[in-house]
Amino acid sequence: METLNDAAPKLRLRGVRKEFVLPRTGERTVALEEIDLDVKRGEFLCIVGPSGCGKTTILNMIAGLTAPTGGSLEIDGKPIDGPGAERGVVFQDYALFPWKTVWENIEFGPRYRKGSALAKSQRDERVRHFIDLVALNGAENKYPYELSGGMRQRCAFARALANDPDVLLMDEPFAALDAQTRVILQEELLRIWGETGARDERRTVVFITHGIDEAVFLANRIVVMGSHPGRIREIKTVDLPRPRKPEMRASAAFQELVEHIWQLIRDEAYAATVKA
Amino acid sequence: MTRVISSSLLRAAVLPVGLLVLWQLVVMFGTPSRRAPMPTHVVEAAWALIGSGDLPLALIQSFGRVLAGFAWAAALALVLGALMGTYRAVDRSLDPLVESFRSIAPIALLPLAILWFGTGTPAAAFIVGYAAFFPMIVNTIHGVKSVDPQLIRAARTLGVDRLTILRTVVLPGALPYIFVGARLALGVAWTSIIAAELAVGAKAGGGGTGGIGQMMFVFYAYSVDLNGIIVCMISVGVVALVIDRGLRRLEQWMLPWKR
Repeated sequence: METLNDAAPKLRLRGVRKEFVLPRTGERTVALEEIDLDVKRGEFLCIVGPSGCGKTTILNMIAGLTAPTGGSLEIDGKPIDGPGAERGVVFQDYALFPWKTVWENIEFGPRYRKGSALAKSQRDERVRHFIDLVALNGAENKYPYELSGGMRQRCAFARALANDPDVLLMDEPFAALDAQTRVILQEELLRIWGETGARDERRTVVFITHGIDEAVFLANRIVVMGSHPGRIREIKTVDLPRPRKPEMRASAAFQELVEHIWQLIRDEAYAATVKA
Repeated sequence: MTRVISSSLLRAAVLPVGLLVLWQLVVMFGTPSRRAPMPTHVVEAAWALIGSGDLPLALIQSFGRVLAGFAWAAALALVLGALMGTYRAVDRSLDPLVESFRSIAPIALLPLAILWFGTGTPAAAFIVGYAAFFPMIVNTIHGVKSVDPQLIRAARTLGVDRLTILRTVVLPGALPYIFVGARLALGVAWTSIIAAELAVGAKAGGGGTGGIGQMMFVFYAYSVDLNGIIVCMISVGVVALVIDRGLRRLEQWMLPWKR
């Protein structure tokens, strides 16, 4: 098991609440209640839970795209009050700019970010580096519609990384991909995250997924959420050694953890399915 | 393959060619009037008008006015449309104004235009611009509103400020709709320039205001040359087609990401 620095969390959520007002009836619904969560520096944290438990809402609040109804969110001890380049987001639908090529999409942050002072040559070097890193060589001048789902996902990932964020927020990034591509990208994600490198060079990752095995394979810790209202049920530490290997998926420890988490959310997942 | 194309072309040409022949025969043998236009005379008139340079010059004059009118209208419509598409308050206060003016035909502004600007290019550009403004602004608003909000969110999380987002995300995202607006706008601009020039010509008594509409007026009111009028009508159609195809080309070139 790896030990992580507990002293100063990268992200701190205290008593975070989110209520929505239904536009038709004016009725208030509690989407999230009293979320307390510390995300450690360099940690890979996964959030799992049934549909409608507010996973994405938490991510959007950390990203600064949604304001909480109550409570506080901090990054490095400073309150979050809007989006910022230090928190990169990889969206589930990729959100690539359709009129920009792969190269231009990845260049977007370094080029247009407020206060970015990179010269063109530095920018080119950086874009080249991340294109190599996500293996998109040869697709630089393609438009998003010309790419496969896996390539779009890599491009969105490279776009977020090229902006050099401290924290990477990923909202079910592999959900739309086929099973094989998903498994390959999971391994690639860990490699790019720096699993094999020095621990203090890793970015902090908050990764939302509905795949329990995906969460166990990737995470240091897994936040298991419940719904109605959205809340944290349990936080599980994943004791598997790093670097993670594909064969670990078959191990007893891996399967036990998957089963444990599945038990936690099963009833609510069934309820959500039947209701839907 | 080529045989298929040529035979379908042949079939498509049968009716128009047949009608032209019929027209020619009816005029030659069926009417006593020497003034009635017929295809051979129209071709002769066209040849003469092109050869003398009168027809190209008139078309260029009219087209120049269309561009002038379109330019000011497009600039205004882009700015206002972007504001209306972005800010709900601006939309609410300007929308009734735009919608009520939209139903006033451009030609209805002719008396005002002539009183204010005389019978020259400014009056024509005013009317043409007025006609072009509405399709342009309506499509710009629609385009700005239909930009995927997720793309704006993505740009915000990359640390890009709102003004830069307007330039780098909202405008490119709205561009396909803006192109539709521009095509419609140039279409109505070209339609209304003819009407405007016809009317301006009538008022000025055939003075030197030029343009294709005025050329038609001269044929109508002075030389009573029906063949010439038909040449003008055909050239108006041809120019409209060229404008539309040109814009489609420009669109394909500027929006390579649109399939």
